[in-house]
Amino acid sequence: MSAIILASECPPDDPGFCSPTVNEFFPPALTEFTLLGVHFEITRITVIMWVATAAVMAFFVLSVRRPEMVPQKLQWMGEAAYSFVRDGIAREVIGREGLRFAPYLAAVFFFILANNVMGIVPFAQISPNAKIALPAMLAGLTYLLFNWVGIRSQGVGPYFKGISFPPGVPKPMYVLITPIEIASTLIFRPLTLAIRLFANMFAGHLLLVIFALGTVYLLQVGNFSVIFAPVSFVMAIVMTFFELLVQILQAYVFTVLTATYLAGALEEAH
Amino acid sequence: MSEGRQPSDNTGASQGWAVLGTLLAGICVWGGVGWLVDLWLGTTFVKAIGVIVGAAASIYYVTVRFGK
Repeated sequence: MSAIILASECPPDDPGFCSPTVNEFFPPALTEFTLLGVHFEITRITVIMWVATAAVMAFFVLSVRRPEMVPQKLQWMGEAAYSFVRDGIAREVIGREGLRFAPYLAAVFFFILANNVMGIVPFAQISPNAKIALPAMLAGLTYLLFNWVGIRSQGVGPYFKGISFPPGVPKPMYVLITPIEIASTLIFRPLTLAIRLFANMFAGHLLLVIFALGTVYLLQVGNFSVIFAPVSFVMAIVMTFFELLVQILQAYVFTVLTATYLAGALEEAH
Repeated sequence: MSEGRQPSDNTGASQGWAVLGTLLAGICVWGGVGWLVDLWLGTTFVKAIGVIVGAAASIYYVTVRFGK
């Protein structure tokens, strides 16, 4: 586990425990280039994202390449995965109209899932979603989509009126409520969507690194503390399974919330 | 967000996140207004009032919206 952990900032003569730092998330660039005045750095985290994306694409392409009436195992898995999102999220949360968003929701779900799970895949062991850029981009996509859907299905005026003046509130209270609703829909929705995913992956990675480094440190410390090394090791294993749960859950939460926002944007139409 | 007309929009998680978002927005928006007033007038106590008013308004709104 410790083979791929990046150098920490402790001085070499410091005998104490070297805790991981935020540098975990800023590995050295493998290659860099400038395109149209923008500087790009390809790091191992970028490569992990490519691998995760390629894996999702390969899985779905292979599963439908030779469709049969009686599905083979791979085709069955692909269909089950897609219908989980289509029936379990799109139809369940949005309703009949949600089916046309099923491809987007499925793409979001499996892209996030694959990238999250990279946090515990050996030799990768960091999720690209542990950097704010990727969750921010995904939240931005969802934000553009639900606003666009709202404007398209209700019209600009009614859509923003519905956001600003939610029903069921006595008129004088709108003075207080309207700014809150506008902020919560147009500012806090994308913000919390991005930060929830990012922070879960960020914290999860640090948690695993702490226990992995702790195991190594306790083994090497050379005194009585060595008896605690197995405890730290067991915790690293337990937390890896816990992280798997968090990774699946966060991909699911992101997708369900995207669907909920789409449902809200469609809804006030009638 | 919906008013629970759809069969299963009332999943606990999405309602919970909506409540959280509303509470955050209330505190930040009216706390922010109070902070601006403080900057303008050179006082210090208006932001505290703003935070309390914002929290109260968002709790009120949560009870109206979800307290059925």
